[in-house]
Amino acid sequence: MIAKSLRDYRRALIWWTIGISAFLTLYLSIYENVRQDPATFNAQAMAKFPGALRDLMGGMGDLSVGAGYLQSVVYQLFVPMLFIVCATLLAHRAIAQPEEAGTLELVVTLPVDRQRLVLQRFVALAVALLAVAVVTFGVVWAVGESVQIGVPFDRMLAAQTGVFLLGLFCGTVALTVGAATGRKTIASAVVGVWVVAGYVVVTVGRSVEAISWLKWVSPFHYYTEGRPLYEGLPVGDYLVLAGATAVLVLTAVLAFDRRDIGV
Amino acid sequence: MTAVVQAEGLTKYYGKRRGLEDLTLEIQPGEIFGYLGPNGAGKTTTIRLLLDVIRPTRGLVRVLGADPREPAIRSRIGYLPGELALEGRDRARDYLRFLGRVRGGVPDARIDALAERFDADLSVPMRKLSKGNKQKVGLIQAFMHEPEFLILDEPTGGLDPLVQQEFLALVREVRTSGRTVLMSSHVLAEVESVSDRVGIVRAGRLVAVENVAALREKAVRRVELHFESPVPRAAFEDLPGVRDLRVEGASVSCTIDGRPDALIKAAARFTVVHLVSAEPDLEEIFLTYYSDEERHHDRQESA
Repeated sequence: MIAKSLRDYRRALIWWTIGISAFLTLYLSIYENVRQDPATFNAQAMAKFPGALRDLMGGMGDLSVGAGYLQSVVYQLFVPMLFIVCATLLAHRAIAQPEEAGTLELVVTLPVDRQRLVLQRFVALAVALLAVAVVTFGVVWAVGESVQIGVPFDRMLAAQTGVFLLGLFCGTVALTVGAATGRKTIASAVVGVWVVAGYVVVTVGRSVEAISWLKWVSPFHYYTEGRPLYEGLPVGDYLVLAGATAVLVLTAVLAFDRRDIGV
Repeated sequence: MTAVVQAEGLTKYYGKRRGLEDLTLEIQPGEIFGYLGPNGAGKTTTIRLLLDVIRPTRGLVRVLGADPREPAIRSRIGYLPGELALEGRDRARDYLRFLGRVRGGVPDARIDALAERFDADLSVPMRKLSKGNKQKVGLIQAFMHEPEFLILDEPTGGLDPLVQQEFLALVREVRTSGRTVLMSSHVLAEVESVSDRVGIVRAGRLVAVENVAALREKAVRRVELHFESPVPRAAFEDLPGVRDLRVEGASVSCTIDGRPDALIKAAARFTVVHLVSAEPDLEEIFLTYYSDEERHHDRQESA
């Protein structure tokens, strides 16, 4: 079952990997120029992203330093978002999409326990996302080396692990909502609202007293707070992400097991 | 012997909308059961309940002696969904192999043999299959693991007449090997030639279960007899089951309820030149059930 899901995902996975890799290569190769002329680029960046916008980009550290550039350009917004979209689209293919298309009906009448079915689909999602994360990490590392980004291997691995966990968490949200409701649009909406609101809370909302407490329910809090590129693997934060994912999977299993399919 | 299907007071509501109400039914091993009713009557609801795709609001259902929730029993069932959806870039053959593996292994030769009988091309990606070909793939997957119990929801939809004949032949083979079939249809003619019993469902309720042979026997049929020379009316009057008798010279016409035995014996005393007996239209009998039920229903409502 898992192998079958992965085979179905194959095409999508290849395209996502190529897309994310292309994005990474493009942005990281500019670093060469930034490093050679830091003053101009920092000034340009400041001018381009005034005030609140800079907050939205995570404050934008010194772009001429490898870790600062990598954080702002790669790990702050764009790559996590790409991973989240990729994970959400893959997660739809677990339950909600086949249910809406009507192909799930035959699958649930196979001699496979429903709880097992959800678990297998989750494992397929995790493995697929891991494959994208591993390949794109290879790209980040290789391109980073070639432009002398100067971030140690373990820090970069810690950041990439965070992207993987964040993507998996959001994908699991989509899978769980899909397993509970059978509707793709609801699943997408929940992920969309959670992600956008969660991102705003930990960036712009950081300084707004009234909403700053919301950071505790934002997945981005656990993703960025530990500053993995500067300080290495934030074990506690990542465990929270992984734990939340596990709770969601359990919810998905129980919800799907109780429900009528395709009505 | 345990019943293949055993339902007692089986009821399903979708929110407030009624899907199926108070179904009590037993299907015995080796039986071909035709499940009839117009669209939206509750046929698919019943079938989905048997397969644990949906869960009953109340009532009891057992399939092959077990709760349908037990995954293991589903490997002994072959299922053709009413609205079969097949998608993706997978070739039909690969998908069938996958289904076979999950159900505990199906030899390729068996898939090929079925494909040949139905004249199905399995090398086409599933999303490119025509409606008829999808239905063929659906039938192949339902029959290929030689299940003890076949549940076929509107199996003949989209099939051309030749393939329909092949399908009916396959159903007869299944019966010969002692296995059980439940097939739904909204047209009696599609199932009457193979079914042992038919159940008629209407507005969520099972209104009648009839033996097909008994249904035929009950059928009113029109008979015409032509003799060599004029016959006396008295010879045919007051025969059991004979009604609407008309005797005109050398010809006799009437309708008979049930067995034509008495009429034949009476006619045998004269020289019969020609005999016409119209096949009873089961569809008509079937519809009388409906209208009876409707009248009954109306009476209840007006009371």
